[in-house]
Amino acid sequence: MSSEPDVIIRARHLSKAYRLYGNEQQWMKQVLFGSWHTYYRSFWALKDISFEVRRGQSLGILGRNGCGKSTLLQIVCGMIRPTRGEIWVSGRIAPVLALGGTFDSESTGRQNVLIGGAVLGLKRPEILARLDSIAEFAGIGDFMNQPVKLYSTGMRMRLAFAICAHIDPEILVVDEALAVGDAAFQRKCMDWIDAFRKRGTLLFVSHSTAEVLRLCKQALWIDDGRVRAHGDTLDVIRAYSKASRVEHDDMKRFSAV
Amino acid sequence: MPLLHIVDGKTVDAGKRTILARFASFLCDPFVSAWRHRDLIDAILRRELAERFKGSVAGWVWAITAPLLSLIVYTVAFSGGPVQLPGGSASGSNFDYALFIFGGLIAFNFFTEMAYRAPSLLHEYAHFIKQTMFPAEMLPIISTLRATAYATIGLILMLLAQLVLTGTLHLTVLLLPLWYVPFVAFLIGLTWTLSAAGAFTRDTAYLMMTVAPLLMFATPVFFSTDSFSPTLKLVFYLNLLTGFIEVLRDIVVFGRLPDPLVCLWVMFCSLATFYFGFWFFGKQRDSIADVI
Repeated sequence: MSSEPDVIIRARHLSKAYRLYGNEQQWMKQVLFGSWHTYYRSFWALKDISFEVRRGQSLGILGRNGCGKSTLLQIVCGMIRPTRGEIWVSGRIAPVLALGGTFDSESTGRQNVLIGGAVLGLKRPEILARLDSIAEFAGIGDFMNQPVKLYSTGMRMRLAFAICAHIDPEILVVDEALAVGDAAFQRKCMDWIDAFRKRGTLLFVSHSTAEVLRLCKQALWIDDGRVRAHGDTLDVIRAYSKASRVEHDDMKRFSAV
Repeated sequence: MPLLHIVDGKTVDAGKRTILARFASFLCDPFVSAWRHRDLIDAILRRELAERFKGSVAGWVWAITAPLLSLIVYTVAFSGGPVQLPGGSASGSNFDYALFIFGGLIAFNFFTEMAYRAPSLLHEYAHFIKQTMFPAEMLPIISTLRATAYATIGLILMLLAQLVLTGTLHLTVLLLPLWYVPFVAFLIGLTWTLSAAGAFTRDTAYLMMTVAPLLMFATPVFFSTDSFSPTLKLVFYLNLLTGFIEVLRDIVVFGRLPDPLVCLWVMFCSLATFYFGFWFFGKQRDSIADVI
């Protein structure tokens, strides 16, 4: 199927449109009379994105808020479907997006690990065998048997990351989520990601160009849903920083007025 | 085989197949998918079962108390004297009418539990659907299985009550699994349909809240269709619940074999609802993550 044997993620002309409706009635009209008339406006979050990632490669993704980075990651992880184009992924993905967002606050940490692991495709005995290791990685000790609502934000994130770290992924997709944690936790995650990079494939989104430069050889800069630059990380980051600086100047001009 | 391969919004099928092969694989799909996700079903079902009475001290005692109380109330209320069973069916004891109603209510409550919950089901799990690679089509199966657990408690209580009050159980009770499977399949299909529709518009929930209580009187819960004219009877059978309730009562309360025609109709309703729901959900599922 694949053009090259070691390609693990391939995206060709990916586009994603969201339908925007003025109100509920228009949605209803679309359902009933959609074959004859269009009642929505299309918002293209992604326009014609193409890239390939080989096994063991790391790809950094840069871009401003709202440029379509998260949409792209969600498509790669299979959470949403592209409207046009082709996406081809072959390997177990661990999405480190919105850490702890899926936790049920009434259930205990242990129950959440069992559900979270099952959602990521682990068998029950496999999860049970890794439970202690997960608790240790997250460093939450006895809280494992307490409801998640008693956890601090940091504890939730640590537990969620610990689950992702324990499912033997082939592809790790990391969003800015990690930026929220404290320094010690961030370092722990980064150490783990560093180790992971040696055997697996990494898709890394961050606003920190330094981190992207350290972790990834290749980078992709997305601007307004399009690929603005793709290639060697250093080149992409130079162009990106330059564009950001121009914008910064713009801002100063406005605030001076 | 790739984990994910989508072209122009459609999952790429492995190779071209004939219509017949595609139809056969559609028929197998719900079961193949459920088997593949069995660990997930197991994990979430455990959570769902534990969650129902979370925060209450008595916990599962409530699951038994509610049907037990209603059974006692019916028994006391309807056991004043010999009651002519609706439709003139052979009435052995005074308690038969209580059991008659109770049997109808078990099936009807089972239905309403799903009808009320289904429209908001996907919203409950929105964070999973949006943030993980989540097989949303398993949720209706899981929630129906949870409701099955409560319905089974009611049914067991009913059988116990029958044993205590009338002293015997009919042999036909052994046919209960043959009633259970189609009814659960019917409800799963219904939940697929309602939950997919409910993901798009909250009106589905309001519709069910309006229709379900009225349906109680359009369903032979408190009466039987035996005495109705054939035409009226046929109209009643258009309500899919009628067939299920009559079969349940035939095998548990009256101890007789149900009408084969009714059985066929029930089987047909069950299969049709099940596969329609699966098809409908599958058609909508790609847009669900966008709108929820």
